[in-house]
Amino acid sequence: MALVRRDSTTAPDDDDPQVLGRRLTDPDAEIRRRAALGLDGVAEAVPALLARVPVETDPAAREAVLTTLAALDRADVAAGLVPHLASDDAALRTAVSGALAAMPASVPALLPALLANPDHDVRIMTAMVLADLPHPGAADWLAGIVATDTHPNVVAAAVDALLPMAGPGHVEVLAAVPARFPGDPFLRFTIDAALPALREAPA
Amino acid sequence: MTRATPTEEFRLTDAEFERLREYFYKRTGIQFTPAKRYFVDKRIEACVRGSGQPSFAAWFSALRVGDRPEMLQALTNQLTVNETYFMREDYQFDALLDPVLPRLLAEHARAGRPRGPIRILSLPCSTGEEPYSIAMRLLEEWPEIDRVDVEIHAADIDSDVLARARHGSYGARSLQRVPKPWLAKYFRSVTAGRYQIEDAIRGAVTFHRVNVCDTHAMRVFAGFDVIFCRNVLIYFDELSSRRAAENLFGALRPGGYLMLGHAESMSRISPIFTPERLPQGIAYQRPTGASA
Amino acid sequence: MTGVTGPSDAGCVLVVDDAATVRMYHSRLLAGAGFHVEQAANGLEAVESALVRPFDLYIVDVNMPKMDGYACVRALRGETVTTTAPIVMISTEDRPGDAERAYRAGANLYLVKPVDAERLVRVATMLAGPPAGARER
Repeated sequence: MALVRRDSTTAPDDDDPQVLGRRLTDPDAEIRRRAALGLDGVAEAVPALLARVPVETDPAAREAVLTTLAALDRADVAAGLVPHLASDDAALRTAVSGALAAMPASVPALLPALLANPDHDVRIMTAMVLADLPHPGAADWLAGIVATDTHPNVVAAAVDALLPMAGPGHVEVLAAVPARFPGDPFLRFTIDAALPALREAPA
Repeated sequence: MTRATPTEEFRLTDAEFERLREYFYKRTGIQFTPAKRYFVDKRIEACVRGSGQPSFAAWFSALRVGDRPEMLQALTNQLTVNETYFMREDYQFDALLDPVLPRLLAEHARAGRPRGPIRILSLPCSTGEEPYSIAMRLLEEWPEIDRVDVEIHAADIDSDVLARARHGSYGARSLQRVPKPWLAKYFRSVTAGRYQIEDAIRGAVTFHRVNVCDTHAMRVFAGFDVIFCRNVLIYFDELSSRRAAENLFGALRPGGYLMLGHAESMSRISPIFTPERLPQGIAYQRPTGASA
Repeated sequence: MTGVTGPSDAGCVLVVDDAATVRMYHSRLLAGAGFHVEQAANGLEAVESALVRPFDLYIVDVNMPKMDGYACVRALRGETVTTTAPIVMISTEDRPGDAERAYRAGANLYLVKPVDAERLVRVATMLAGPPAGARER
């Protein structure tokens, strides 16, 4: 038979963070990708990893950089990622929002500034982060956006994120939305569809 | 309102079922239709009771926050089939035989390796049914098996199941989809109702103890042509599943194939693989191409 | 791939948006106009759905996790799926250059939310032909 057994597994690669840090800028994308993964848990590598985020052209390598960064749920990482929510590059801003959505320890401190950002696109991305952030305060932050934001698309994003976690306590703030944006057919439709079940839900 | 008291019948309201359905679809990509309502109600009841929460609403609220990944794992466990047995989801072994192996063989031939080796990884291999199923299908149904070398590697995080896999003996439930002639040919009876797979096949599979989420440990695997990683990624949280996907990517050679469980999708995990439509369903490829 | 069903020979539309409320809204509008509508929650799921069955029209959001709308459209047009079906991108954003980016990715049309209900139906009908349901009226 030609089912062969060989000890063909490979020896583990270099683990020295210094070496891996240098490899983050190697011309070969696979080397960069492996280096980023190999720096899992290495806090000293944060500046070098953050530096790659806006310039890494290989999608798999960028994913690896963000996977390693997101696991380091630290203030310096979150602060370094948040500016990219304003990027014109949709791939970059959505990839960064995905990483931030996995960082419940460090993102909350940055929310006040994000929620007050004059760029409504940044506030929309913030609602996207809050939709997935595993933090018990997410519903309240989203309700705050629904109650006070002036841009209908930001409120729409927050409504969508809030509804799955909403309870009867959110009925009032949600019910006020159509009147705040009378020209918006989507918000009218969505709130009208959601309120009945929400009014009946247990507290 | 649904309360999980022992004396009352547990039944989700329509609104609660919808919320749960939407949440599970959002997190896992898995749909369950209204037709599965009764089944789902029973499984949710088990989750709620097992969690110690007083009601569906309290349980779902805690689940929804997302800061206790074990809750989603328990739910996923309840809602998916977890049993392992020979020839499970064998449409993927059909796909392996055709078109995957012919394509891989053509690539190897073009690269000057007409005899391979073709390298296949089963991870997690659990108690061994999957790698041994692959071995038998190849021996019985792949015309090229006498001409081409194939390596089968198998890995799991659990050393107990690996020990059982190496030993290779199984009962009727695990063996029920093995064709009778194959049972006679490749197994011998060891006690009443238990059969052990023959030494030649056991010896042909290399077993490893590896955690798919551990980048350093997964470095031992490189250049694989096909990886079967079925029904494990779905249990991982966001960051673990992303890291596992990256590790599987690194274990494949460019152009290599990854097969997930039939209800699983990379869509909730990672964009680094290219989905490929095979006649039997979707598989994932590590892209070939320039690495600049 | 949730389905909002219409007549079996109706035009098939795939609505791609991470927001369940938006998917529901656009699906209702299009199903009401006679289309058969399916949904995908992100660009990757959309590509997988497109591989399994061809659609007559894709409605694709921009900001989605895992795979953004532009990458999704490029994958639909490119080697992965290679569809020539019409694609409408719908976005919450209105940055300079966004429409250009959409057309370069391969979209036929770029609309900004909120999309007027009649306009969506008109656009869908124009791009994917009158659905069987509408013809019977």
